[in-house]
Amino acid sequence: MVPMNAAFICRHFLNYVFLSKMAATLCVKLLPKQGWLPLTQSVRHGSKAVTRHRKPVHFLRQKLMAVTRYIPPPRVAPPGAYPPPAEQVQEDNALTVLIKRNLKKLFQENKIIAVVQNNASNSEDMMNLKYRLHKHGITVKFFPNQVMRSFLKDSIYCNMAPLLIGPTVLFVCKEPKVKEMLMTLRSSPQMTLLGACIDNTLLSAEGVVAYSKLPSMTVVQGQLVSGLTMLTSRTAHMLQHHPAHLSALLQQYVKQQSPDNSAEGAPKAEEAT
Amino acid sequence: MAASSRATVVLKAVKNITIRFCPFESNVRSTREFLAMVGSEKARSTNMNCEVIAMVKHDKSEPVVDITYADGERLVMKGAKLSTREMFSAFQSRCIAKDPQSQAKAKK
Repeated sequence: MVPMNAAFICRHFLNYVFLSKMAATLCVKLLPKQGWLPLTQSVRHGSKAVTRHRKPVHFLRQKLMAVTRYIPPPRVAPPGAYPPPAEQVQEDNALTVLIKRNLKKLFQENKIIAVVQNNASNSEDMMNLKYRLHKHGITVKFFPNQVMRSFLKDSIYCNMAPLLIGPTVLFVCKEPKVKEMLMTLRSSPQMTLLGACIDNTLLSAEGVVAYSKLPSMTVVQGQLVSGLTMLTSRTAHMLQHHPAHLSALLQQYVKQQSPDNSAEGAPKAEEAT
Repeated sequence: MAASSRATVVLKAVKNITIRFCPFESNVRSTREFLAMVGSEKARSTNMNCEVIAMVKHDKSEPVVDITYADGERLVMKGAKLSTREMFSAFQSRCIAKDPQSQAKAKK
């Protein structure tokens, strides 16, 4: 009985140890506590939690730590600590300088600078157009867009820069002859007027059309002057109305009296006035 | 695609093309390039009856390409967020679909 008991106890003890070890190694599902996520550990023979060597971190824990890593905010160096980065200023080559000088002169001399997009007109059409425009004194200019844009952003005409995309041509003229330019453009279908800078004012296509419909400067000035003087002239007329009326009546009276009584009518009229 | 790699467009099945844009906006680059491609001499020589009309406005509206085909179908492309290639390939594919017989003959 006793040896059986001892054997039984021993076996039981071993079983228990074995089972507990199995439990520790295989899965913790055997002891689910509330609120725990079921973690399956597939470690064959696990070392304990606290070991003397560096235990390889479990993959899930590795992932969690990677995701929740602390990334400190980037420390900004105090201003003046480092020299400022050298600005990459590309020096213009000689051709660009030349073109820019030309452009400057162009903008100063000419009153109209119109930007037109041409969709690949052939040289014949271009020649015809140039000829027709030259009769009115308008010149056609081609400039590379990059150079133009870099020139424009330095000058006051920076708002023209978005117009210069794609195949563009410049029409420049010393006098504001917009009507003729529009009529010539209408005859060639592939030229599209995008905008113009007239007298240092940027106008859209519709603005150009409206500008062409304006009457000339003298007419407009005359209209302005007449509008202003109309008011003052009305006031003056109203003030002078009464004495003018009185003098007209008296003159009429004198005329009536003089054929009847030339001697009496004259002194009476003199007394009256 | 052999067809879209060619620079020219065949406009045989197209009645007219209207392109509306506002040049002062920043999103018109692709539309303008499309206009340049479609309005070129080579493209227009494939079909003299096809009109290419460019309307320049100033009302901050979006750039729109409106194509009317010969059989009445309309293709409207809003070019604000499209690239030139996409517009061109869409247009080209539809042109070829509309006109397969003459295209096939030409390719053969």
